Amino acid sequence: MSKKTPPRKKKTESSPRRKRSGLWRLLFRAAALCLVLLAGWMVYLDAVVTSRFEGRRFEVPSRVYARPLELYDGAGISAAALVRELELAGYRSGDGRRPGTWQRNGDRFVISTRGFSFPDGKEPRRRLSLAVRGDRVDSFSVMEGDSSPIVRLEPAQIGGIYPSHREDRILVKLDEVPDSMIAGLMAVEDRQFYEHFGIAPLSIARAMVANVKAGRIVQGGSTLTQQLVKNFFLTREQTLLRKGNEALMSVLLELHYDKDDILETYLNEVYLGQAGTRSIHGVGLASQFFFGESLKDIDVHQIALLIGMVKGPSYYNPRRHPERARARRNLVLDEMAEAGVISGQEAREASARPLGLSAKPSYTDNRYPAYIDLVRRHLARDYREEDLQSEGLRIFTTLNPEVQQAAEKAATDTLPRLASGDVAEALEAAVVVTAKDTGEVLALVGGKDPRFAGFNRAVDARRPIGSLVKPFIYLTALSQPERYTLISPVQDKAFTLEFDDGRRWQPQNYDGKERGLVPLHEALSRSYNLPAVRVGLDVGIPEVQETLRAFGVTTPISDYPSMLLGSISLSPVDVAQLYQGLATSGFNTPLRTIREVTDAANEPLSRYSLKVDQVADPAAVHLVQYVMQETMQEGTGRSAYYRLPDSLTLAGKTGTTDDGRDSWFAGFSGDLLAVAWVGRDDNGPTALTGASGALPVWSATMAQIPQHGFSPVMPDGVQYHWVNPGEQALTGENCDNARLIPFIAGSEPEQHTGCNGSLGRQIRGWFEGLFQ
Amino acid sequence: MNKQVIVRSACLALFVGLVGGCATGPGGGSIYVPVGGDDRRSAPEPPRTNIPDEQDEQVWRKSEQPTVTEPDSPSTRAPSYSESGDQLPAAALTLVRDADQRLRQGDSAGAIARLERAQRIAPRSSEVYFKLAEAYVAGDNLGAAEQFTLKGLSLAGNDERMQRSGWLLLADIRRARGNVAGADQAEARASAL
Repeated sequence: MSKKTPPRKKKTESSPRRKRSGLWRLLFRAAALCLVLLAGWMVYLDAVVTSRFEGRRFEVPSRVYARPLELYDGAGISAAALVRELELAGYRSGDGRRPGTWQRNGDRFVISTRGFSFPDGKEPRRRLSLAVRGDRVDSFSVMEGDSSPIVRLEPAQIGGIYPSHREDRILVKLDEVPDSMIAGLMAVEDRQFYEHFGIAPLSIARAMVANVKAGRIVQGGSTLTQQLVKNFFLTREQTLLRKGNEALMSVLLELHYDKDDILETYLNEVYLGQAGTRSIHGVGLASQFFFGESLKDIDVHQIALLIGMVKGPSYYNPRRHPERARARRNLVLDEMAEAGVISGQEAREASARPLGLSAKPSYTDNRYPAYIDLVRRHLARDYREEDLQSEGLRIFTTLNPEVQQAAEKAATDTLPRLASGDVAEALEAAVVVTAKDTGEVLALVGGKDPRFAGFNRAVDARRPIGSLVKPFIYLTALSQPERYTLISPVQDKAFTLEFDDGRRWQPQNYDGKERGLVPLHEALSRSYNLPAVRVGLDVGIPEVQETLRAFGVTTPISDYPSMLLGSISLSPVDVAQLYQGLATSGFNTPLRTIREVTDAANEPLSRYSLKVDQVADPAAVHLVQYVMQETMQEGTGRSAYYRLPDSLTLAGKTGTTDDGRDSWFAGFSGDLLAVAWVGRDDNGPTALTGASGALPVWSATMAQIPQHGFSPVMPDGVQYHWVNPGEQALTGENCDNARLIPFIAGSEPEQHTGCNGSLGRQIRGWFEGLFQ
Repeated sequence: MNKQVIVRSACLALFVGLVGGCATGPGGGSIYVPVGGDDRRSAPEPPRTNIPDEQDEQVWRKSEQPTVTEPDSPSTRAPSYSESGDQLPAAALTLVRDADQRLRQGDSAGAIARLERAQRIAPRSSEVYFKLAEAYVAGDNLGAAEQFTLKGLSLAGNDERMQRSGWLLLADIRRARGNVAGADQAEARASAL
């Protein structure tokens, strides 16, 4: 802009005396030229003002919300977690009467909600009473407000999608702004706002006198229009030229637009604070940011504070300089009283009140970088980046802050204990937790420093999955009940494959041992390699590939037999998708991070609904789920129960790749599915296995979350029988080696085997059965 | 076999009344396991006065969600399964009723939003999935309706009433999609119950 600056020396000079006409002509020409240039400059400025103001479309960033906490009798949450949820949603510990406060008394809570407009309807303000006992909500009731057995709290805002200049605001309309705020603002900043034409020469003169007297700048003579122009169109440099432009543009702005338009724009533009790299603009967001309340709900002392902060948002930052801010607020209150906006009595009362700030800004800028990263990728399928940055969309995600915290803590606490020295330094981790039956992604950890917005391993680290592939081999086999059951003997014996080109492949067990014939369930729960490859080759690599694709693998799968030992590279999120179908008895449930997107006015734009798609016979999946439970109880996953209570039934599978380069664990309870990966970014070796690397991270995550144990509903066509797996025969419940094993109806063994147990044991067993 | 089951469950019903705690185990259903923080042991749940009647006779079925929390003391660990899915807790029932009302008003999208909330609360209740199927039928998305019916059926377990509604619903949906053979098959399943 400054490049185009015309020479503006003397504008119009008139001298009554006539000297030499040549000089006069020159002067006249110069003046005319100046006038023309000035006129041109005005035309240019006018274009700038009108185009910017006309297309005055504030870029409003999108807001990203966590899932709202649902409160009802039986809801699973601990008291500590409830408090954390409340704090995250900007609640204060208080009397439980003011909206946005809670009161705790032992295990009893009283919570006053603020209400929230969800895409599917409004949750009104309510006062709730509940208790938290045994990590569950109990005695839930609504004390005030619409009665309902289930209530949603306001969702915590967990992030935003900002334009590059990182301005954040909540747009408000003029009629939504409290009258006392408008009147107060004028009383303090611009008393003649509705009278002047953009600039107030008298105020400027008065300010200049005051400044000269004080020898420094103590007073500004800028009108609100000038302040708006300064923020809206100009840079912050303090030059005379800029002052001139500011005045010209202010006048032009006033010529074109009415006062209310200008005022509304001012209220949305004014800069009021900073949160990290994010700048807080407009009174709407400032009210949320400082008080956790929407603008229409704040009191006069809070209004006065915001007005006072206009003068110097950082100097009067109430969180950093509470005393300074308080003095300024009280000064504003006095001026408001003087101007008749409020009574002297009101001013005195308001002056006596505390600042009324919310505990802390309701969220820090980048608390969940890995999760938001995945949300943005999902949004990118349907939305343009510039719309996300500017249209003020509301994005309702599935993030569960409690589960997220548990997963982050598990990763950061566990990793340092897994190795020492350089290896420990190099170790990285990723965790994905989803809701088992909804496919909602509840938590995502992209590395051992969960606050670092860098390489997102949960999404981008594609690593060979090792033994995580085995359940799909056996699922393929068990889908042929006439050929395979859980007690089918499989060969744990070394063999060599020779390819056409002469290369040889000789798979081995992890421990290098061979065990001969073992029952299928044992081969899977102990994760033996040799039987897995044999069974896979027997049912056919294409069939196993088919199963994997049906369960959600979209990347190409190798045709080589090494695929049967997991030479398929997937990210932790991909693995979570793959295992979702196993956890839900053969129903593929697409993973989601977003429930809904609305525009700024709460009009729904997209809904991402629950989808299910049956991809496997539930009966065959039930058999695999049985073995995955056995894995946790007797097999490679049993060390999970060092951390977890026995009563929490779980199912899972370990995965390890060569030299411990990748340590995987994927498993589920009744409510949650979690996948953990541990390894090095440089793909270097570690001394870890799935059980010693990823499993501790996985169990540490699960151990922090109250949840239901895994107990799949027995599907149609499955029957449980007591069998002796070694002899492949039905047997009595209290006989030696008896196991209760599920079979697809008709595939159970026909022959019976005698019972080796003593009579005493059988009787004892019967009574134990009763008392269990 | 059947006799044995009856005798056993009768004995169990008798004994749980005396003994209380019940381990996870085959047929035990999913048990809610609190994390066991500070407030669990120091503040045990006070005795309840308003236990619904049906709980007295059905205590052995642990699948109802709002049951009393057990201490974790199973004698052995064994793979667990449930005979049937979960009942709808009151909160979910409220949402389902709300959804029903919206369906009657022709608002299938609103009904689906409420049913998805109910599904998050009671993800192992076949009823919610059948309701979702109904809502998708109303919204003219028969493909999704069929899938939700199948999902509901996978959770019906030994609840014959639930099974029958599921198979009949599936038959209707399949017929509407022009899959006559599939519909007949589903109908046969319903009448075989």
